[in-house]
Amino acid sequence: MKKRLYLELENCIGCRSCLAACTQCGGHEERNRNYVYDVNPLVNRQTMPLMCLHCVNPACARSCPAQAIQIHETGAVLSALVEKCIGCQNCTIACPYGIPKFDTEQNLMYKCDLCIDRTKDGIPPMCASVCPSNTLQWLTDEEIEAKQKQFNLDNGKWVTSMPYLEGETNVRVNLPGILQGVTKLF
Amino acid sequence: MQRDKFFKEIENLRHPNETLVKTHCSYCGMQCGMNLRVNTETNKIIGVEPRYDWPVTVGKMCPKGVTAYQQTNHDDRILKPLIRDDASLKGTKEGFREATWDEAYDLIVKNFQQLQRDYGKDSLSVYSGVSMTNEKCYLTGKFARVGLQTRYIDYNGRFCMASAAGGFMRSFGVDRGSTLPWTDLHETDCLFIAGSNTAECHPTSMFRVWAVQERGGYLIVADPRETPIARRADVHLDLRPGTDLALANGILNLLIQNGYADEEFVNNHTNGFEETKELVKEFTPEYTSELTGVAPEKIIRAAEIYGKAPNAIVMFARGIEQQVKGVDNVSGYTNMALVTGKIGRPKAGVATFTGQGNGQGGREHGQKADALPGYRKINNPEHVKAVAKVWGIEPEEMPKEGVSAYEMFGLMEQKVIRGLYLLCSNPAVSAPNLNYVREQLKNLDFMVCSDFYLSESAEFADVILPTTTWSEDEGTVTNLEGRCIKINKAQDPLGESKPDWQIHVELCERLGRGKYFSHLKTAKDVGDEFRLASKGGYADYYGITWDKIEKQDGVFWPCKDENDPGTPHMFLDKKFYHPDGKAKICALPYRPPAEEPDEEYPLRLTTGRVVYHYLSGNQTRRINFLRDMCPEPYVEVHPETAEQYNIKHEEFVRLYTRRGEAEYKVKITEAIRKDTVFVPYHFGHDKSINLLTIGALDPMSRMPEFKACAAQIEKLELKKVQ
Repeated sequence: MKKRLYLELENCIGCRSCLAACTQCGGHEERNRNYVYDVNPLVNRQTMPLMCLHCVNPACARSCPAQAIQIHETGAVLSALVEKCIGCQNCTIACPYGIPKFDTEQNLMYKCDLCIDRTKDGIPPMCASVCPSNTLQWLTDEEIEAKQKQFNLDNGKWVTSMPYLEGETNVRVNLPGILQGVTKLF
Repeated sequence: MQRDKFFKEIENLRHPNETLVKTHCSYCGMQCGMNLRVNTETNKIIGVEPRYDWPVTVGKMCPKGVTAYQQTNHDDRILKPLIRDDASLKGTKEGFREATWDEAYDLIVKNFQQLQRDYGKDSLSVYSGVSMTNEKCYLTGKFARVGLQTRYIDYNGRFCMASAAGGFMRSFGVDRGSTLPWTDLHETDCLFIAGSNTAECHPTSMFRVWAVQERGGYLIVADPRETPIARRADVHLDLRPGTDLALANGILNLLIQNGYADEEFVNNHTNGFEETKELVKEFTPEYTSELTGVAPEKIIRAAEIYGKAPNAIVMFARGIEQQVKGVDNVSGYTNMALVTGKIGRPKAGVATFTGQGNGQGGREHGQKADALPGYRKINNPEHVKAVAKVWGIEPEEMPKEGVSAYEMFGLMEQKVIRGLYLLCSNPAVSAPNLNYVREQLKNLDFMVCSDFYLSESAEFADVILPTTTWSEDEGTVTNLEGRCIKINKAQDPLGESKPDWQIHVELCERLGRGKYFSHLKTAKDVGDEFRLASKGGYADYYGITWDKIEKQDGVFWPCKDENDPGTPHMFLDKKFYHPDGKAKICALPYRPPAEEPDEEYPLRLTTGRVVYHYLSGNQTRRINFLRDMCPEPYVEVHPETAEQYNIKHEEFVRLYTRRGEAEYKVKITEAIRKDTVFVPYHFGHDKSINLLTIGALDPMSRMPEFKACAAQIEKLELKKVQ
């Protein structure tokens, strides 16, 4: 059963366990590939992860003159192939989310590959496995649909804002917030 | 058992030439399940893989847990015993030379015996910790009392769980940190959490906390800071540090006045209600607000939510416990559950967030100055008789009660204590009033430190013994639920390091006390003796076998025999552990912190943790990822306060109290009270905030007041760039 990375941004506690776990994935050479931001650090402790959304038609791959960015059959947008990447950094500019990172020493782009050595066999990626706050989850489409109903969202735009930015993504983001539409027990 | 909605059957990723060793984290009381990846050719730990099948944490880990394995084969490991011949270098890293175990043991035996000949048995002391297995904690107590025959043993739980223990003993007659399993948390209707920065200190509780709100339940948080958990609370009670008891009394008063008391429960299962009702009458929302600084409407709303909730759990941590009235704060908040009868059933109860990995088990089995295995008391002749029998000594040979951890430094000053055996702790960072404490360590006649890294405290030692990390030995620990679980060995000890229980046995053999220790050849031997020693005590582990732990995903104490499955929920029969079977509702007069702000020191200083570091930071400051995320301490200041002092974000200030001073970079944030500043305590040498904290102790638990003292800030004009 196909599963997707699903983000509930509002749950984030800023522990950066996802980044620590990212360094532990076999193919990641101990470098983390995503981001956690302090939203307004002088004011409060709100944080949010910025993960590769694995676009269905990814700008990074489209912009690559060397076809170094492959899309896996699971939909995961992979890190640049070492033998093909020419270090032009087009991808880092093209990505609307600023995901691809660049290693100036190796002249090589690297990015989240959704822990492809795990997810190709249906094992959750490291980030979603460890996330203590359930900001990052690994869910089936049915589970995601149930969440969509549960939160009774009013603007229909809970999936990454479709007509904007880059269009459909494999990763799903609960944008309006997990508590919107929740009825209190008493 | 207890496989809930978060539990999913997931296969682990398996690499060629690797095995996975099921175990738990080395750090906090959550004891998250983890698999250590071990290379089958080198037999070395090389990584971590989530343990999806552990029912409490289902694969989740915080950044400390993810990187915990990096401790074991770290370059900083001490691989051989170290001896320092030049005592003038004490307090520095200098002067140590490598030695053989025999030479180190001989030197220890010579000095210990000399001191005891000249100054008596009690001139030696043992200062221990609870970030180690029950087996080690148990044997440390026996090592002190039978091996060294000294009364002076205490442990770092005095800076951690001692107030919770005291409060629970008084309220319930028993001290099990949680009255219910963690798998109940997300199913309750209201979480009332006081003095716990849960998202940073026990992060893997958070998915259950958020799930309460997702179901429409409520979250109430009492904390001087708007921590990540307070940020999303339905009510954030932003109280002044050190005023918890007033808040607890104020809420209790509203619960009683507004008819939320459960009369049937109160009448049949508790004592002390009427007296307490009278005492808290004074704590009107207005008066409570005056004392705590929390707006009256927030107090009213919090009481209303807790009162109405069909099920609720009261939880707390060091924020309320590290005060001179820590025990009263614990009993004060526990009163809420007892008065409303929200205890003794699933999804309702009281819990403390245990700080250290084995903070629960380690305080039950005889490392405390006044305690013997099984939570027995050393001043109770019957208890002494039971343990003396297991140990093979005469009851008269049992040393008397000693003194608490911080008070041991006082005895060092008076030269009553002249020798110290330190293990599993780093008081040169973690104790309060550090200028004083470090001076006492320096003046010891002879000090031994067992550690796997050269900690700030090891810098004061004459001999350092290289011990193992948690992953190089096996044994049990008791997590914050009261669930006894199994730590498994993943690789052989690095270098010449040895587990502490083995060091104790070998040292006792050389001290001529081998007949009490030589039969202990393995960790399991120690475990079996410890189960027997706990038999019949409050904390009875006799029925907790390693097999049963494996079969049941852990065993909750009390567990009296082989057929007893253990006790996940306490008090289901509404029987408490006081002799009359009733719980005690405590009438607790309010008293302020030991040191209140004044003109000279107008700010309240409070301390705490960050998510990236554990306790004194001796372990986590060496892990690259964690150090990069938080390389140094800082002081949190509210923007309005900063403006008064003309300080800007990231400028340097001198922070000082009556006891000490340190320089910190300023972090401006609105997420703190204007009258309060906060500094994390994980850092050593001149960066330790405990240079400034106060050594005032709770009269019952002997817990220092880390969480509140009076301080002042001075802007540093020309701070050179570091």
